[in-house]
Amino acid sequence: MILVTGGCFQGKTRYACETFGIGENEAIDGRICPLEELYRAKLLYHFHEYIRRMMKGGQDLSIENSMERLKQENPGIILVTNELGYGIVPVDRFDREYREKTGRVCCRIAKEASQVHRVVCGIGTVIKDG
Amino acid sequence: MLVLITGGSGSGKSEYAEQTVLQLGATPRLYIATMYPFDGECHLRIFRHRKMRAQKGFETLECYTGLKHADVTGYGTVLLECMSNLTANELYQEGGAKKQCVEEILEGIYKIKNQCEHLVIVTNEIFSDGMEYDRETRQYQRYLAMINQKLASMADAVVEVVYSVPLVHKGETDISPVIKRESEGV
Repeated sequence: MILVTGGCFQGKTRYACETFGIGENEAIDGRICPLEELYRAKLLYHFHEYIRRMMKGGQDLSIENSMERLKQENPGIILVTNELGYGIVPVDRFDREYREKTGRVCCRIAKEASQVHRVVCGIGTVIKDG
Repeated sequence: MLVLITGGSGSGKSEYAEQTVLQLGATPRLYIATMYPFDGECHLRIFRHRKMRAQKGFETLECYTGLKHADVTGYGTVLLECMSNLTANELYQEGGAKKQCVEEILEGIYKIKNQCEHLVIVTNEIFSDGMEYDRETRQYQRYLAMINQKLASMADAVVEVVYSVPLVHKGETDISPVIKRESEGV
């Protein structure tokens, strides 16, 4: 498993596709894909939006199980996510929970991941390797 | 030694800070808690942090404002969490230092730093989500940023935690423990 993170509009998905030799047409959009795609995709981007969709669908309690299943069924996946949590605490309760959940899920994935990349201005830095 | 640990919300910086304290070794350990429990959500957060700290041998001192009145004499390692709460308390709570919050907090830091062997401070990155906030909130960001810069200049080590991965901005990397791959409640 590989995690690619960074701010929005930083070229994370393009960086990930180039770095790992994946065609952009093979990259799955977590904002709109069927939820099951997570277990088949080579690369899934907008992963934070995928988490939001699960929470909106009342599935936030099953996210932990999903991570366990992901580890079993698609351990080679590359996940591209916005790095959330660098602002003032949101006023809206759902927004607060969403940003917290995304953080906890991504911490867990980063711990499992063989590599974590962080992208700033289109430039990726490997911040964890092995 | 003074260690400053920063990162976004939900980045795993608390867990990293606790590992750092354990690695620094010096006991007894004191946790200075700054989150004022004003609603159920705060209670949940506080409960989660208490659970994480259990078995790590911390005593707890609650300090919502007036850090300079805290006495930590005799403690080996002090963990202060979190500077963003303390600054908000000083700015917004009745009896807080208001416009003097930067000076008041730093005075407290100088004092407790001299009373213990190691001080680990957790702060928060609240500066980069591109939103335009009201004047009062921007003032809060400015005060916390001033405190962060001052602390970083004094610190022996400054570490930013990105989704549990430590990025060392200042100091020796060998004080930064590799966080164990223990599973965390997601």
